[in-house]
Amino acid sequence: MTDPKTHSLIEDAQGLAFGATMAAFGILVLTHLGLVTGQTAGLAVLISYATGWGFGPVFFAINIPFYLLGWWRMGWAFTVKTFVAVAALSGLTMVMPGWVSFATLNPVFGAVLFGFLSGAALLALFRHGASLGGIGIVALMLQDRLGWRAGWVQLGFDALLFAAALALRDLPTVALSFLGALVVNLVIAINHRRDRYIAT
Amino acid sequence: MTDTHRHSALEDAQGIAFGVSMAALGMHILTHMGFVTGQTTGIAVLIAHLTGLPFPLVYFGVTLPFLGLGWRRMGWRFAAKTLITTAALSGMVALLPGWVELGRMDPVVAACLFGMLFGIAGLAVVRHGGSFGGISVLWLELQDRTGFAAGHAQLLSDLVIFALAAFILPWDILAYSFIGAAVFALFLAVNHRRDRYVAA
Repeated sequence: MTDPKTHSLIEDAQGLAFGATMAAFGILVLTHLGLVTGQTAGLAVLISYATGWGFGPVFFAINIPFYLLGWWRMGWAFTVKTFVAVAALSGLTMVMPGWVSFATLNPVFGAVLFGFLSGAALLALFRHGASLGGIGIVALMLQDRLGWRAGWVQLGFDALLFAAALALRDLPTVALSFLGALVVNLVIAINHRRDRYIAT
Repeated sequence: MTDTHRHSALEDAQGIAFGVSMAALGMHILTHMGFVTGQTTGIAVLIAHLTGLPFPLVYFGVTLPFLGLGWRRMGWRFAAKTLITTAALSGMVALLPGWVELGRMDPVVAACLFGMLFGIAGLAVVRHGGSFGGISVLWLELQDRTGFAAGHAQLLSDLVIFALAAFILPWDILAYSFIGAAVFALFLAVNHRRDRYVAA
């Protein structure tokens, strides 16, 4: 068995592959229902809905400025892993509609499902030293430097995004989106514990 | 924050709720594609296939005899959590067709998604002290009494399930099922580490 404290390259690779795949599955559920969400992905979804551009390219482009911040505050390994995760998620969201489709999907269940899938994806990426870019980097930085819980910081940014979403979508859609984002943030707030998952 | 080494009841509840939801979605994909799998769920899938009985009922029935063994070996908490997990999974698998109707799916992607969903579900439930039916408890008991390694017994039982499935399923379906089972097994083999996730 590998060292308990440090992930091997292959372990990180499978963690990133899992995270990007679950996140792409989550985005498929989200966009199928026309919901919005928080964080960097939420910003990309809003822009995608408003302009008609695909989520993948928009998400990839939005993240570019944050790599400098990531490199400066979190180191090159984190930045490279985040770049790989973001690129994989962008690519997967472009091909996944050809691989998986829903005939019907209950919106309430879909919102919770999105929350679980994205929560598990982010947890795996965080534990393997990556993120899904942008706001995640800022939130992780604040948790590591100031001890603020990443879940709460992301909730604050989400509030701003949801205010903007009210202008684009109807109230029931925004309410369901809120449920999904709440589940994501609860999964992270409860389960992202460096004292429990000790490997890096 | 709660104690590092001990999950609170609420933490266990969210872990099991997450695991059950992910496993139910995995089962939904498995059923949609007509795949089989190993372990306790695999036995239930095979029996349901052969008898025409509904899977949730068969699955719950198959797990019941192992509850007593689990209680004796692993304690009442394990048995209680396993009962809650299997009852919830049976219920959710029965409800899910009304909530999610899958469309066309690429079989290789479906197999990989099944493996990942079952993997993360197993990881979450086991880390929170439960199980999805606990046939593995039988192999632990066998190891104690005869010295036959539990890991080998588990592998052997999966081989028997797949060999039986070979009589009733076309080869391509069997091959896709094998990919799913391999992703699931690899995911658990790499990520189920008590030395890394230290809470119980």
